This record gives sequence, structure tokens and C-alpha cells, in this order.
Amino acid sequence: MHNARPQSTRLSTIIWLILLALTIATFSIGEAGMSGKNTMLMLLAITMIKSQMVANYLMALRQTKMIWRIIMLAYFVIVGGLIALAYLMGLS
Amino acid sequence: MCLNNVNLNNENSNSANFNLAELPTAQAMSGQQDLPGDFAIWIFIFAEMLVFGVLFVAYAFTRAHNVALFNASQLTLSLTSGTINTLVLITSSYLVVRGVAAIKQDLSKQCAYWLTGALLLGGVFICIKVLEFHAKFAADITMSTNAFYMFYLSLTFFHFMHVLMGMVILACIIIKAWRGGYSTQSHTGIETGASFWHMVDFLWIILFPLVYVIR
Repeated sequence: MHNARPQSTRLSTIIWLILLALTIATFSIGEAGMSGKNTMLMLLAITMIKSQMVANYLMALRQTKMIWRIIMLAYFVIVGGLIALAYLMGLS
Repeated sequence: MCLNNVNLNNENSNSANFNLAELPTAQAMSGQQDLPGDFAIWIFIFAEMLVFGVLFVAYAFTRAHNVALFNASQLTLSLTSGTINTLVLITSSYLVVRGVAAIKQDLSKQCAYWLTGALLLGGVFICIKVLEFHAKFAADITMSTNAFYMFYLSLTFFHFMHVLMGMVILACIIIKAWRGGYSTQSHTGIETGASFWHMVDFLWIILFPLVYVIR
């Protein structure tokens, strides 16, 4: 069983609000019809921040061994990196 | 694993009992904890992430050879629906966090309320997705229409099934929590279900910009 010190409600609420704000930012970029290399990289950066916030704060991996956080970060770096590579291929 | 009052000799001995739960473990002393919930769910979570990861990358590389087709098809999707669903899943994940926090304070009923909120939001996600699928099928769009729709329908339907599975898990946890089946000391089941639900959220957070926004 996971007996980590409970994450404060206030911190969880702040993380939730940041995630909502970043989602609205993603929507705004899409609604504005923005495209291209810089937009793609910005969207991937937002997605990376969101995914790591979910992993570290909602999944509570922040309170576990470093290896689990590294795995979640490595997952996004590899998948996100390959997605970026594919999009750059598409642009060229 | 929790071993309470383990007698190191035998059950009938008068020698002192050692309460192992009171002894600090190496992990607790270092401030690091095990993964939340049952470890088996994490094997499943990592396997699911791997499968979705391969699909995400396959989508991106297929798009690289059909950029105009993917961009034109992507415009037929409802960005608003995708955004609302993202907000819904994030909020449901937050409610699950509150539910886990409640059971750690031995508040079973409150835990059940928070988780019920998350379950209802899962229902909202399903309804919006069904409307999206219906709109596409009504327009005679299927998986064989083109490569974009093949990925869009398969990725989102695969994820949709995970949401349904997560809702079933949440429903089981809610019933048990309502009946007082969990406590501060014993709530592995809730953490296991919560971890699965957060994975569903985690994957959608990548899927949404990839399929609906990036062009």
C-alpha cells in the first residue's frame, strides 16, 4: 500500500487549475488556426508539462522513487521526440 | 505488505511481540514510497502506454507522408468537443485525487462522493464521444475512408474503451467505499483504480493535441 504523506488539497487544486489553463491555451492555438514548426514545438511543450503534472501530482509519482518519474519523463521525451521528428519530416 | 504483531517464535509463546508496522522502513526513512496501488496495475499501465505510444508515433509518421490529407481531415473534427472532453477528464482526475485524500483521512462517504463525481464526468466524456462518433458515421465516414480517419477512429475508440473500463473500476470502488470497505490503513484498491483513471487522463492529454490540434 502507498503510505506517502497525503498531498495537500491546495496543491492538487492549483495543479488542476494550471492543467485547465494549459488546455484552454491549446484550444486557443487550435482555434486560431496556428500551424508550423514553432507552433508544433509549443504544443508539444505544453503537452509535456501537462503530462508530467498528471504523472507527478495526480498519479502521485512525485512521492515515489526517482526511477518511476524518469520512466514517465522518458516516455514523453521518446514519444514526443518521434512525433516532432515526423512533423518536421512532413514540413520538409 | 503490512505485518502486524508478528510473533517471531510461535503463537503460544509468552515472548514479546514485535509490531513491525511501527518500525521505520528504509523507504520511509528516505522519504520514497512504493507506487500507489497494486503493482500489477502498473505493469498494465506501462503496457497500455507502450501500445498507445506506438499508435501515436505511427499516426505522426503516416501523417508525414500525407500532410495535406491529414490537415484537411483534421478540420472536420470538433475542436470544441475535444477541448471539453480534455477539461472533463482532467477535472475527473482531480476529483479522484480528492477521493484518495478523503479515504486517507478515513472519510469513506466523502471519498465515495468525490469518486461519484469523477464517474459522472466519465459519463459526460462518453456522451460527447458518442455524439462525435455518431456525427462521423452519419457523414458516411468510416475507418476505410482515409488514413487519418483510420487513426482517428481507432485511437479514440481504443481510448473510449479504456474510459469505459475505468468507469467500471470506479463504480466498483465507489460501492465498496460507500459500504465502508476502505480505511486509512487499507485503501490499496482505491489507489489502484485511481492510478488506472489517471492513466486514461494522461493518454488523452497526448492524444488530444496530436489528433485535434497540431497541424
